[in-house]
Amino acid sequence: MTPVRVVDALGAPCPVPVRLLARAMGRVAPGQVVELLADDPLIEVDLPAWCHARGHRLLELSRDGARWRGLVRRGQPGGGAASEAAAPRS
Amino acid sequence: MTGAYLDAAAAVPPAPEVRDAMARAVAELWASPSGLHPHAAGPAAALEEARAEVAALIGAADPDEVVFTCGTSEARALAVTGLLSANRHLGRHAVLTALEHPAVATALLRLAADGVTHTTVGVDHEGHADPTALATAAGPGTALVCLHHGHHEVGTLQDLGALIPAARGAAPDARIHVDAAETAGLLPLDVRALGADAVTVGGPAMGAPAWSGALWVRPGAGLHPLVGGGAQEGGKRAGPQDLPGIVGLGAAARLARASMGARAAHRRAMGERLAGLLVAVPGVTLNGPSPHRRVPGNVHVSVHGVEGETLTVALGTRGVAVSPGSACTADAGKASPTLLAMGADARDAHSGVLLGAGDATTAGEVDAAAAVFAEVVAALRAMSPVRP
Repeated sequence: MTPVRVVDALGAPCPVPVRLLARAMGRVAPGQVVELLADDPLIEVDLPAWCHARGHRLLELSRDGARWRGLVRRGQPGGGAASEAAAPRS
Repeated sequence: MTGAYLDAAAAVPPAPEVRDAMARAVAELWASPSGLHPHAAGPAAALEEARAEVAALIGAADPDEVVFTCGTSEARALAVTGLLSANRHLGRHAVLTALEHPAVATALLRLAADGVTHTTVGVDHEGHADPTALATAAGPGTALVCLHHGHHEVGTLQDLGALIPAARGAAPDARIHVDAAETAGLLPLDVRALGADAVTVGGPAMGAPAWSGALWVRPGAGLHPLVGGGAQEGGKRAGPQDLPGIVGLGAAARLARASMGARAAHRRAMGERLAGLLVAVPGVTLNGPSPHRRVPGNVHVSVHGVEGETLTVALGTRGVAVSPGSACTADAGKASPTLLAMGADARDAHSGVLLGAGDATTAGEVDAAAAVFAEVVAALRAMSPVRP
C-alpha cells in the first residue's frame, strides 16, 4: 500500500484537490497507490464520489486535525466502479 | 553604452538558446496552458518540458515537485509562508541565519502577527553560520529552518552538509528551506540528497531571466499557496504562468546542466581576476571569503571613505555596471545589514559595492572596469569632505 506519488493539495479548495489527484492518477499504473493531502473539508465528500465515478479504489480517508489524508489505488482501465470508500476516520 | 557589465547578480544577458526559446514562447505559445482546446497543447507541453529541465538540473525525482514562480523572491516568500501555514501542528517558531535574503526575513516578520516567532543565528566575519549555534536555536516547536547555500550579496558558501544535520538533530520534524538561487546552475545540487524540504532556484545564476524562479518542494512537506484558487502549479501558485520566463528558465537549466563546470570555472576566474585588481586599490577590502571559496563570479568590496551608492552611480557614468550592496536593494540607500551582521563598522557597511561576473564577462572587461574603478575612487575621495 506504499504510495508511489504524493499529491499535496493543502491550501487548495475543492475541486482543485481532486483535479490534482486526477492528474497524478494519469501518471501511475493500474494498481498503484497515490496519497492525497488536503485540508478542504469538502474532500470528505468529493474524494469518495470521484473515486466511485472513475473506478478507483479509495483505500483510506483519515483526518488529523484540519488535515485529510487519502490513499487511492488506481483502477483498471475500463474496469468500471471499483471504489470501496473507507469510512472517514477522525 | 560601451563598458563593462558586472551586475550579474541582478540580471545576465540571455544565451542565444535562452533568448530564442523565450522569443518563440512570446510569438507562438500565447495561449493558456490550462486550456482544454487545441491551442493549449503547445504551451502546456512547453511548460512541462521546462519543468522537466529544472527537475533534472536539481535532481528532483519528479518534475511535479517543481513550482514555478515569478522570480526567486516569490519562491522564498512562498516557502516561508506556505510551509509555516501548512504545518501549524509542528509549532510557530522559525530559525534563520542573519544573512537570509530579505524576502525570507520579511515573510517571517509579517507572520509575527500570526504568532510566529523567530530566532536569528549570527554569522562569523566571513558570513558562515555555525552548526552548533543553529542547533541551539532550534528545538521543540520549531517548524521552519531557513538556510542559504550561496549568499546573494557577499557570496559566502554555507556548509549545508553540517548545517542541515544540525538542524534535523535539534528539530527533527521542522521543515527546512534552502535558498540556492545564487548557486543552482553553477554548483552541483541534488535536492534528494540535500535533506531539505524546499529549495529555491532560478534567475541569473542559472543564466535565466531575472524574473524567473522555482521552488522545489519535497512531496509530503506540506505547502500552502501564497496565491490560491486555481490548480496551476499543482495548486501551489494559482493564476496564469509566465510562460516566456519559464521557458527561458528551462532552456537555461538545460544549458547549465550541460556546461556547469565550465560556467562556474569561467565566472570564478573572472571573479578572482577582478577581486585581485580591486583590492590592489588602497583602502579597498574584499568582504566575505576568499575568491575561490565563494559564489563563482561574486565580488563584494568595501571602499574606505566612499559611499557605495555614489560609487555605483559614478561607475555607471563611465560605463561600468555594478550594484551597491545587494542587487535586490540597490536603491535602498541604507547600510548593508549583511555587512553589519558580519561585524563591519557602520562606515564600511555604507561603502559596499557588489560586482558580479557572468558567463559573457571577458578579461578585457574586467581589466577595463578595474582601471575605471581606481580612477573613480580616487576622484570621489579627492572631492570628499571626509577624506580617509
